[in-house]
Amino acid sequence: MARISKGINIPLNRVEGDLEIRVEIEDGIITDAWSSGTMFRGFEKMMHGRGALDGLVVTPRICGICSLTHLTAAVEALDKISGTIPPDNARRLRNMALMVETIQSDIRQAVLMFMVDFANKDAYHNHPLGQEACLRYSPLAGRASIEVIRETKRLLQIVAIIGGQWPHTSFMVPGGVTSIPEITKTLQCRIILERFRSWYERTILGCSLERWQEISSISDLDAWLDESPSHRESELGFFIRFSRQAGLDSLGKGPNRFLSYGNLTLPIDTAVKGIHGRLIGAGFANGTTLAPFDPAMITEEVSYSWFEQGGKPVHPFDGTTTPYASGKSNQSYSWIKAPRYGGEVAETGPLAEAIINGIPLFKDMITKAGPNAFTRELARLVRPASLLGSMATWINELLERREENFYHSVKQIPDGQGAGMIQAARGALGHWVKIQDQKISHYQIITPTSWNGSPRDDGGIRGAWEEALIGTPVKDINNPVEAGHVIRSFDPCLVCAVHCVDKKKRKKSRSIPSGVNL
Amino acid sequence: MTASIICIGNRFVPEDAAGLKVFDRLQKMHHFPYGVTIIEGGLAGLNLLPLLEQGGRVVFVDAVAGFTQPGEIVLLDHQEIMDTPRPDHFNHGTGLAYLLTVLPRVCDGKLPEEIVLVGLEGEPTLQMVEQAAMMSVAIATQGPMEYR
Repeated sequence: MARISKGINIPLNRVEGDLEIRVEIEDGIITDAWSSGTMFRGFEKMMHGRGALDGLVVTPRICGICSLTHLTAAVEALDKISGTIPPDNARRLRNMALMVETIQSDIRQAVLMFMVDFANKDAYHNHPLGQEACLRYSPLAGRASIEVIRETKRLLQIVAIIGGQWPHTSFMVPGGVTSIPEITKTLQCRIILERFRSWYERTILGCSLERWQEISSISDLDAWLDESPSHRESELGFFIRFSRQAGLDSLGKGPNRFLSYGNLTLPIDTAVKGIHGRLIGAGFANGTTLAPFDPAMITEEVSYSWFEQGGKPVHPFDGTTTPYASGKSNQSYSWIKAPRYGGEVAETGPLAEAIINGIPLFKDMITKAGPNAFTRELARLVRPASLLGSMATWINELLERREENFYHSVKQIPDGQGAGMIQAARGALGHWVKIQDQKISHYQIITPTSWNGSPRDDGGIRGAWEEALIGTPVKDINNPVEAGHVIRSFDPCLVCAVHCVDKKKRKKSRSIPSGVNL
Repeated sequence: MTASIICIGNRFVPEDAAGLKVFDRLQKMHHFPYGVTIIEGGLAGLNLLPLLEQGGRVVFVDAVAGFTQPGEIVLLDHQEIMDTPRPDHFNHGTGLAYLLTVLPRVCDGKLPEEIVLVGLEGEPTLQMVEQAAMMSVAIATQGPMEYR
């Protein structure tokens, strides 16, 4: 039996890396995996002692892709501490901006990070759709790649209009938002959104949002695919055909536990329908069996992490982030902590949202086949279909209700604690904040990648994508595209690593050159 | 000619903070030339594209590695930036080369007339930051000729 233990080189990101994955392979199958965050980040330490509002400025700069999600989590924590409920119009604007960020992230990730691997000639030269994949997704040249960059760039103009600054807007403040868009600007947002929706329907889906949402089972999906050339030839149709023929529906099962904090709090008076006051519901699911979400069940555990060991797992309101790389040197392997929900490992992201929101197609897929890389990525590619309609409604409501409030005055942040818990593009994001004497006395952040890329916990239970890698066949250890599909189906947040232009060619490395948002 | 100075990098990672240190220095300047805009580009990656659709001159300021001795500043022109390695995958740290490669194909406005990069090699000293700030303003207003 051939048994190999080594790091694998998945070109996820950067020249210098913050994420390494080591796997054991027996007879071409991954039998064990370790996901290691290799950089201490320590934002929580950085925040301590700063002014109460500083999280609004500092944390959005953690990530260049999902800065609005950090801004939203930070402001929601301060809303709670202040005991304020932002007015409906502020909700609409905050939600709109966050949804734009999510949609652009979903489509860019799907095409530029995930489907670009379909153009991996070494891996897919014999795939019947390999040649077509190169035309669509080749880096920097593929037809779809270029189109996605152009269209998402246009969509992001909405954030610039709402936020009044680009990049790094800080338009969300405790109590609401800082400015009221002019009517002409709101109309401009509507035009941008309508144009984007048309493109998304035509190019990504190949059908209307309404037609897509009629699909409620795998058999419906198969019928939809056969229904029209526009379905088969859309990016979605191509993704389905290519993935199935490449066997992506048999890769990357993972823990089969799903977590969503819920997201997009609804205005009190709105035509948009949601679940318990939010457009995206909160919950935990074991397979498709749902349980209500209880924030008190979240803990962080550091048995395999390079942090000061505090004994039992603790809630993020009680946790600390104290690096401690000595001792337990044979056991610890990551700067990521191990978040758990009720002691269980869980994956988070669009698939978790779809299951917890009870979207019939994904419930059917999980029930019949369990989670896998194909289903996980499919959920991401079609998530915009469940957001675009509500965005249009909120723009129209903004136009109709422009005379209503956008801000409730918050003079100062009182002593107290609050959590901002949302769904970022990549999944559950939480900021747990305590304020004392106008200063931050405690700040803990758990990012989606902490959930998905977690190391083992005190029971030795693997993190979500560690578990998902088990059983993955690797045909070529030097081109482990299958493992790449599994990891990328989780959309790891690869950010904040060394970011400079480097003249040196990328070194051949055993590690995954990437950053990871700890 | 209008000009933008776009400072990029990650202020939370010391090896990558040079561009933003220059940004902070530029913000403190009392007399800033008319027609020059300074922008904290941060980690925005592809999200910088809208800032490159307004014609004029664009001066990027960023950390570099492997171009000169640590402690020195290097000036790269458009082609030299394009010649740096590009990742095949778009990612959360998409570099300038990726950005400039796709720019002509996705631009909805007017392409920049000139693009240069002021690169800071190694850990930036106060003196380097000062020098890079002055250099980026001079290039933004007068062009890069005297530095070539």
